[in-house]
Amino acid sequence: MNTKLKVSEISKIYPGCIANDKVSLEFGSGKIYALLGENGAGKSTLVKILSGVVKPDSGEVFLNNESIKLNSPLDAKKNNIGMVFQHFNLFETLSVFENLSMDSDKTNEDLRVLVNDILKKYNFKINLDVPVLNLSAGQKQKVEIIRCLIRNPKILIMDEPTSVLTEQETDDLFISLKQFSKDGILIIYITHKLKEVLSLCDEVAVMRKGKVVSVSNTTDEKIESLANKMVGENLNTIKKKINNFKNSEEILKVSNLNFKSDDPYETNLNDLNLSLKKGECLGIAGISGNGQNELFQILSGEIITEGTSIMFRNKEIGKLNPRERREYLMAFSPEDRIAQAAVPELKIYENVALNNFKSSNFFEKGLVNEKKIKEHSKKILSNFSVNTDNVELKSQFLSGGNLQKLIIGRELITSPELLVCFNPTWGLDVGAINYIHETLIQINEQGKSSILISTDNDELLKLSDRICVIYKGKLSKIMNADNVTAEKLGILMGGGSID
Amino acid sequence: MSFDLNFIGVLIGAIMASSVPLILAASGELITERSGVLNLGVEGMMIIGAISGFALMVVTDNLFFAVIGSMLSGLVISLIFGLLTQSLLTNHVATGLALTIFGIGMSAMIGKNFVGIPGKEFPLLFVNFKESIPFLGPIFFGHSIILYFAFGLPFLTNYFLKKTKTGLIIRAVGDSPTSASNQGINVTLVRYSCILYGGAMCGLAGAYLSLIYTPQWIENMTGGRGWIALALVVFATWSPIKVLIGALIFGGITILQLHMQAIGLRIPVQLLSALPYIMTIIVLVVISRDSRKIKLNTPTSLGQIFYKEK
Repeated sequence: MNTKLKVSEISKIYPGCIANDKVSLEFGSGKIYALLGENGAGKSTLVKILSGVVKPDSGEVFLNNESIKLNSPLDAKKNNIGMVFQHFNLFETLSVFENLSMDSDKTNEDLRVLVNDILKKYNFKINLDVPVLNLSAGQKQKVEIIRCLIRNPKILIMDEPTSVLTEQETDDLFISLKQFSKDGILIIYITHKLKEVLSLCDEVAVMRKGKVVSVSNTTDEKIESLANKMVGENLNTIKKKINNFKNSEEILKVSNLNFKSDDPYETNLNDLNLSLKKGECLGIAGISGNGQNELFQILSGEIITEGTSIMFRNKEIGKLNPRERREYLMAFSPEDRIAQAAVPELKIYENVALNNFKSSNFFEKGLVNEKKIKEHSKKILSNFSVNTDNVELKSQFLSGGNLQKLIIGRELITSPELLVCFNPTWGLDVGAINYIHETLIQINEQGKSSILISTDNDELLKLSDRICVIYKGKLSKIMNADNVTAEKLGILMGGGSID
Repeated sequence: MSFDLNFIGVLIGAIMASSVPLILAASGELITERSGVLNLGVEGMMIIGAISGFALMVVTDNLFFAVIGSMLSGLVISLIFGLLTQSLLTNHVATGLALTIFGIGMSAMIGKNFVGIPGKEFPLLFVNFKESIPFLGPIFFGHSIILYFAFGLPFLTNYFLKKTKTGLIIRAVGDSPTSASNQGINVTLVRYSCILYGGAMCGLAGAYLSLIYTPQWIENMTGGRGWIALALVVFATWSPIKVLIGALIFGGITILQLHMQAIGLRIPVQLLSALPYIMTIIVLVVISRDSRKIKLNTPTSLGQIFYKEK
């Protein structure tokens, strides 16, 4: 079975942004194709067009030399195009089997037989009768893949599939994908991770600002060459910081911390212990959903615990709320910039004012001291190179990178002793990531401490002095970053043990 | 007052009759909410159903047309809600409240000419058995066909949602309309259908009031039953069987406290009148306190406006 897919002169324009600019590409079965690009390069738009979710403004798609119309996801299904989205398209409250049976014409009995065959063939282990919300991210992705496979796809598109997986799960996924490719399925693999392109794919197309800038065989490429094509400029590398915290005093101590939740979406925390010195960065790795959210909320005071379980500068702070903790010079940068850290409908200076102290004098006798807040906000914008000087701008109009700079700036301008951040570079482009990383290194060099909860292993290895892994609400032992490799992290993140 | 068995049977029969409008309206709204649409217009749709049913009965002198007409009128008024929330993407809560206000006003206007007109006798089934079998007779027999339908409806709804493909699709849309849309499900169509079904059931609930329960037209005769139905759906955590239980408790305590008032117990009347509301909530909260089940039953997208990507 030979499948040829060709997209020709595809354009899609959103208000204020050309997502796809005359994109033309050709694919053939038997190979795995990478579609590489930064966030906002137009990969996802192209993929949404191929799966019928979004209609292009112009251009055509050819399957085996015949022009096909993709007006709805149903059209994509009819043409045997399967798609695994970056953000899962699963129904969390329905069982795995109900999710699969949704768009199958088969009877439940036949479908069960077919699904069990697929599970056996590709060595997937999933309980079909539990609600999807009980599954790990890796298992959810398998459910998505099975949903494609039961329709005998000719083409399988994977949109950034490894962003939620451990190293081991990623290896398993690659084995499966290679097997699918051998079975004659054309695979298009969307990613911004360069290593994956080289280890998995045969051909790579690089996109930048809506355009295809290069198509080549992966054997002709190296990580550096792909990176430069993707970003379009030569990246400066960050210099590693000087460690000078070894003999400094302990600033934070968490001991025997437990958290039990009745909410099935939340993770219980079991007997966490950690400590942090001045000028040190402690990295906490793990696959999302293993208790990071709960841990962050406990550290920030969104969840209150026993007073004694958290000591900060020799004070019991477990019972204090976020604002009281800030008075003690703690600072927090939550994962969700829009929902937790900032209010998108409010102006920049109003968002700055939300993070107020007794000492900041933003409010006088219950009235807002607008002038003072605006001056303060301007200082943040310039000190942290946010790409605007208009403090009246609504925060929702800032890009992710600029919003993150504003949030980190808002926290750091008060010179806190400890910054707790959770996935601070999530979804940002390379330039903004570099800036945030430099800032985090800087605060350590100034003798301030940081806790970095992140799902990005490269980032953790780059910034942390010591690293531990959180798995199912438990912390691994804390290791010196020098002795830690991505492989070790991967094993711990998947629940394994080392040495 | 003698507490013979037959009297208890009659009492239970009366309780069942009083819970019918709640069961019908709540079962309809449950389907609507399961698809992720929060329609607060239940009271308005019920009262429109009540007046149209009664008016059609007077005009056509045909109870069949009256019942069908009440359902159609509920459906039409819910179509307005559908157009606004699904096609024009207005806020569910505000639109639903407006619908209730509109329904109450509209029914009062239409109803002006129908005040004081006596209703028609609605045919009751198995009346012989009701009188010949003591205790069980008045419970199971001598009711209108709508009552039997109402008591079967929660079980049908439960089966429909859990076992049929259409039910599965409705639950999927309520869980995540975006995912459903990406799977090729026509979210707007599913939600429209559920809204219209809910409207028809509310219309029927209204007709039960004006044609059978108290066969006449009185302004504002639904008396807040629509709101109770809405609350039942939520407190029953979107489970049809629990809706039935809740409706029976509410109906039961309403009737019982009336009897208690009649006996002249030394309990303040206000407290007795409040009893059905308090007890229903307490019982439903207690039987649905499994937070895991609540998560699994709650339509995650409830009240959210769905935009389709273009």
